[in-house]
Amino acid sequence: MSQPNQNSPFCKIFPTLLSALFLFTILASSPKTLFAQDAETSVIDSTLENLVPIPARPANVKAKDHVYDIGEKVDVSWELSPDDTTGLRNVVGYIISRRLDTASDFDSVGAVFSRIASLTDIGLTKGESYQYAVTAYTSAGAVSETSVSNSVTTEQEWFDGDKFWQVLLLVIIAGSVAYFIYHAKKGKPMFLRKIAGLQAVEEAIGRATEMGRPILFIPGIHDMDDVQTIAGMTILAKVAKQVAEYESRIFVPTRASLAMTAARETVREAYMTAGRIDAYRSDDIYYVTDEQFGYVAAVNGIMTRDKPATCFYLGAFFAESLILAETGNSIGAIQIAGTAMPAQLPFFVAACDYTLIGEELFAASAYLSEDPKQMGSLKGQDVGKVVAMAAILIGAVLATLGSEEGMNIETFNSAFHAFWGVFGGGE
Amino acid sequence: MAHNLALIGLVLTGLSLIYVLYRTIAGNPVDRRVVFIYVALAAGLPLFMDLLPPVTVTPDVQALVDVLEELPPHSKVLAAFDYDPPSAPELQPMAVAFFKFAFKKKLDVIIVGLWPQGPQQANDAIATALLDSSVMAAGPIYGEDYVNLGFQSGNEFVIQRMGSGFKAMFPRDERQTPYDSIPVLQNIVNFSNIDFVMNFSSGKPGTIEWVQIAVDRFGARLGAGNTAVQAPQVYPYLRAKQMVGLLGGMSGAAEFEKALSMPGNGSIMLLSQISTHAIVILFIIIGNTAYFRTRKRKND
Amino acid sequence: MPDASPIGIFIAGLLTLGIFSFLYKDNPVYKVCEAIFIGVSAAYWAVEYFYSALYRKFWLGVFPPAGSGVEADLLLWGGAILGALMLCRMIPKINWLSRWPLAFIVGATAGLYMMLFFVSNAMKQIESTMQPLIQDSLLETLGSFTIAIGTITGLIYFFFSKEHKGIFGGAAKVGIWVLMVTFGASFGYTVMSRMSLLIGRMDFLFNSWATNFGQMF
Repeated sequence: MSQPNQNSPFCKIFPTLLSALFLFTILASSPKTLFAQDAETSVIDSTLENLVPIPARPANVKAKDHVYDIGEKVDVSWELSPDDTTGLRNVVGYIISRRLDTASDFDSVGAVFSRIASLTDIGLTKGESYQYAVTAYTSAGAVSETSVSNSVTTEQEWFDGDKFWQVLLLVIIAGSVAYFIYHAKKGKPMFLRKIAGLQAVEEAIGRATEMGRPILFIPGIHDMDDVQTIAGMTILAKVAKQVAEYESRIFVPTRASLAMTAARETVREAYMTAGRIDAYRSDDIYYVTDEQFGYVAAVNGIMTRDKPATCFYLGAFFAESLILAETGNSIGAIQIAGTAMPAQLPFFVAACDYTLIGEELFAASAYLSEDPKQMGSLKGQDVGKVVAMAAILIGAVLATLGSEEGMNIETFNSAFHAFWGVFGGGE
Repeated sequence: MAHNLALIGLVLTGLSLIYVLYRTIAGNPVDRRVVFIYVALAAGLPLFMDLLPPVTVTPDVQALVDVLEELPPHSKVLAAFDYDPPSAPELQPMAVAFFKFAFKKKLDVIIVGLWPQGPQQANDAIATALLDSSVMAAGPIYGEDYVNLGFQSGNEFVIQRMGSGFKAMFPRDERQTPYDSIPVLQNIVNFSNIDFVMNFSSGKPGTIEWVQIAVDRFGARLGAGNTAVQAPQVYPYLRAKQMVGLLGGMSGAAEFEKALSMPGNGSIMLLSQISTHAIVILFIIIGNTAYFRTRKRKND
Repeated sequence: MPDASPIGIFIAGLLTLGIFSFLYKDNPVYKVCEAIFIGVSAAYWAVEYFYSALYRKFWLGVFPPAGSGVEADLLLWGGAILGALMLCRMIPKINWLSRWPLAFIVGATAGLYMMLFFVSNAMKQIESTMQPLIQDSLLETLGSFTIAIGTITGLIYFFFSKEHKGIFGGAAKVGIWVLMVTFGASFGYTVMSRMSLLIGRMDFLFNSWATNFGQMF
């Protein structure tokens, strides 16, 4: 399929136009019809001898392989027929045809309106050689002589130069992540603001201890390959240590078997650090089932039977978020949740006492673990946020100053379009 | 008869809430099971009524319909079905209306699915659409006017590979006919040959993946129907013009049916939706009354 | 369900009612229905994956039926070998081999996602937020201000390198309010979705099931 460009309204109009043209040509060939007279009057310099003047042909047809594609496009360009904007001024459009170098006939691939001198032909085969022919035509159906282009071979490029800015911005952000990880590994101190929800953790564990009831910890329903589960485990280490110190009890039912192994390791280590390894019970950390709602049913059962005073939901959650938080609410537990699943956050926010929203979960994990990789990533992403904020601010100000609705200052308008283009605007 | 009884029942249900509110204020809130009964009545009773609620078509739906209307006959439309029966109440009415429109307008429809049950949902929707006599009269022929390429495993990687060629991912259609011998697929290599992509989605992989890969990477034009759960996450892409339009949930389905003048299940069920929403809002008010009462009592 | 058998519809209706019975309280009927659901779904997925991945994708891809005009896709053998390595997890001596396919999946996904998310979710969203703050109508002007302020304050809330104090803290507070409004809208949409599911079931019970019930007895 070939089109002048994908969004051009011409693609839609073209079939209608061609059929109208066809009809018009037939009617115009009979001088007695009304239409023929109209046609005559519309043609400048028409004489009786020269009813259908033939336009001069478009010259200098060039075919060029389209850059930065997978070898499926060719850019065709030509010089406008001398009778397009000047001379007879009777050209209404150009028909573009194509043939394989080895073939003898040209097949039409598209058409454009007058005053347009280029077309991108798409849907070609990589490595084939093509030739293009361009013909001008008039509203009366007269066609010019045909101009034939050079032969062109389609090529696939290794890199897409149009994506230069994308790569540059990505390198800046990814580079700053690497830079901060490097510095964190060297032991350079890094500032991370306090996460309010973390203070609530200590109080919640204290409350459970006072009430003599256990604590329930759900590290999400994903396996260890999800970074949210890993963040949940880091916080579990902190919680378990405190539980050990307070001589309370913690249950960790998991949906993934690997998560169970990881949770057991984490809690055991925390008890060891707290010097209370004798109190560690591996049976309190167990695998339930992989079936999502089967797991939820089991956890609901644990909640209604054991009535934990505090419930933690930290990790990746799906539709079970509200079911869990609702049951926890009905048994009067203090609930602290954290997830990066945008669709589930509203339920946790509504049903829990404290919620770590999105990235706060990772920040909490980094803050507690002081792991250089987590700290560095967080700092590096902050750089990304600064870039985003600055871009939005600059863009909005330039757009306001340059746009017609705003101040309409041309310099700012062109500056805005250049800046906007960096982020893919106007493509 | 059933209509009148249901209407009276619904009015009585609404009025009885005044008693529930009174009890709550008196410090005697109802059991949660009572709430369930109210919701069940609000959802069930309107199904017996012959009333079609007034529907206003929102700009996001109209934008999608405008693009569909502008497609000339025999435009190639890729229809991606990424949902399963649990989401059918919301998405199936959209799919049925879409097929009715596409068949009448003589669009060439190519069905694919990234969810195993998606292509089956498409077949169900086609069967329902063909019950309409005017659609039947248009006489869509399998293989010539539409084709179901079936499900392909691999999630969003399937879309990525479709970018270089559909045939690599779907060498045969659902009926095991080879790609090259299906008339409607002649000259279709990749997204460059597709005029429009319509996606029905209830999760991942779904609309977001189609936006990220088919639109942003391969330049396709996309419209989508989503479950209401997913819709809020898709709106940013709509605002950034990465999509032409969006149908959200059952109300989106009803608006779509209205804009295409093809009333169906979406419009019929919308009344139930409205009455359940009314009940939910009233219970939110009652619940908050109970909450503030207990708080006041604690303060006293 | 255009081609479900009467018996099928009858059983489906009973199962729906059985699951609904949980709303009253947990009971044996509900437990039976839940167990049937879990069992059937597990078996369904096993069959589905076997058919779609092993048979349709791999077997037919590697050994296309004669005369179908489809060429054998030898790359699929690579996937098959990686898939087979996953099974090594069950043999303790060589279970480390199962990490290779996992590494492949994680690596390929990360590679694909990095650019996809960066372009679609970062660049394109930033681009669309760069709008003139002053628009034709007051309402639109208010809209562009809300979008710009909402996006920037939201980003400030998730900025961890600076304490939330002073103006910065104020902006972060605006950010969290914006987030809460978003959550409210999202919550409303979800309620709408869940209600649709209930209405769908009701429609099934009152129409398909009740009609079918009348025909059966």
